[in-house]
Amino acid sequence: MSALAEPLAFDFFLRGMAAAALAGALCAAVGVYVVLRGLSYIGHGLAHGIFGGAVVSFVAGVSFYAGATVWGALSVLLINGAARRRQIGGDAAVGIVTTSAFALGVALISRQGRFSRDFDAALFGEILGITNADLFVIAGVIALAAAVLFFWWKPILFTTFDQEVAGAYGVPVPWVEALFSLVLAATVIASLQVLGVTLIAAALVIPPVTARLLVDSFTRLFALATLLGGLGGLGGVYLSWFADVSSGAAIVLLQAALFLLALGWTAARSRWPGADGHGGVARLAALRRPPLD
Amino acid sequence: MAEPPTAPPPEEHRHPPPPPAGAPLVELRALTAGYERAPVLRDVTLTLRRGEFAGVVGPSGSGKTTLLRALTGQARRFAGTLTPHPRAGERALRLGYVPQVETIDWNFPLTVEQAVLLGRWRESGWRPWPRRGDRARAARLLERLGIGDLAGRQIRALSGGQQQRAFLARALIGDPDLLLLDEPASGVDIRARHQIMHLLGEINRGGAAILLTTHDLNAVASHLSRLICVSEGAILADGPPDDVLTPETLRRAWGAEMLVMRRGRALYVVERVDDPAESEAPP
Repeated sequence: MSALAEPLAFDFFLRGMAAAALAGALCAAVGVYVVLRGLSYIGHGLAHGIFGGAVVSFVAGVSFYAGATVWGALSVLLINGAARRRQIGGDAAVGIVTTSAFALGVALISRQGRFSRDFDAALFGEILGITNADLFVIAGVIALAAAVLFFWWKPILFTTFDQEVAGAYGVPVPWVEALFSLVLAATVIASLQVLGVTLIAAALVIPPVTARLLVDSFTRLFALATLLGGLGGLGGVYLSWFADVSSGAAIVLLQAALFLLALGWTAARSRWPGADGHGGVARLAALRRPPLD
Repeated sequence: MAEPPTAPPPEEHRHPPPPPAGAPLVELRALTAGYERAPVLRDVTLTLRRGEFAGVVGPSGSGKTTLLRALTGQARRFAGTLTPHPRAGERALRLGYVPQVETIDWNFPLTVEQAVLLGRWRESGWRPWPRRGDRARAARLLERLGIGDLAGRQIRALSGGQQQRAFLARALIGDPDLLLLDEPASGVDIRARHQIMHLLGEINRGGAAILLTTHDLNAVASHLSRLICVSEGAILADGPPDDVLTPETLRRAWGAEMLVMRRGRALYVVERVDDPAESEAPP
């Protein structure tokens, strides 16, 4: 018993668990909209783009959060602008903008000739280096996301469901999109320290997809995904102590295991007599949006 | 004495009443509109009046859907005016819009009730959860449309006709002055199409003006009181079906020879198929 409680005796570990639970829940909640919009790639891209910003801010000697925020906002604007051109398309726009920003970061690092521990943390996540200031940033972004998603629940849901029709019903679509992009960029920045550039997309995508296997209503999906994201963060960091692996990797592997469990459970359920044929596997296929006219 | 139950009116009697001389509801003046850099509609002038039940016909790609998008303020305007503009304010014009069923993401995790309540997103306040009054309103509407028992179902679990009704309910919950429907009769079977057209007639008699697009000239267009035929982004003909569904207009719009036949009050358009033997025969 005492072995199981051993890591809980350390302040830094408790702080790391709190940060991972909060970041996991935040990523999952925002990820519900990301997945339903068919933008799973954007979180991945944005994280890489923001990494470039982090390096530039390091070289310029300004705070990581300041550099990452400016870079994140710039990336989102560029992606939105490029995606509106039909010859480019959304996924290609993400690819161009964010990999270029990432490459700029890599180029600057190679010119500097040293690979600091900070960049290691930004790439792969470093939960044990979480400071109280990092916790405050995560809590602040959660407050921002909660306020936006709460007060703009209906317009954001309507825009996510059908952007064009939402516009016809008077939803100010460009404003909603801009606000959502802001929340997404803030979420990625706040979670970078916990999960790292390379793993953030998983925290955005896996919990909502797992929850989608299990429920059919939007409100339940939102609640379950947020819960799974939080538990994945908490459990992942805790297990990482015993498995002696990187905390970001442990979080993502735990979330992937939960996804496989949900997939197995719904696949088994759809074979039971009386199944309606709309089981989880069908729901998973359903996440691939049909192309719109 | 109770009145004997009334059977649904036979097809010949499904005509809505003739258009009342209502006040103009929305006016397009020399409107050129489309997408990004490409205008689709060119120099379109059109007035829709209160109480009208009109249809837009035309070949694929002629600008039918763009005309609806222009009315909702979603198409890019290059020239001309739209009064009142849908974004001019809440009181300008209450619009209800039912998109083509093919464009809806049926796998989205929404129940029928949640989808319908989106139509009142503005009036129902900032709280994420619905108000009791709005839920009651949605329930009454779904009941009236004959799908009251499906409110809790995920939208994918509905048949084609039920899906049309669910999204009709979303359009009606805002109590629209003008109801716009994009191909409401496509993707549903004959029975569902009859029911939807009957329902639209009822809604129209209740006071809402209706503008729908359709590619079905016989089962839908010929029963409306006003048709607007668009071709290559311009209005080719505008008036009662008798004036619009003429071989000359049809040939100019579709580039194909068609015959127009009359049976009772109904018009039928059929494609004229030339007998190859006849055309190959020496004069």
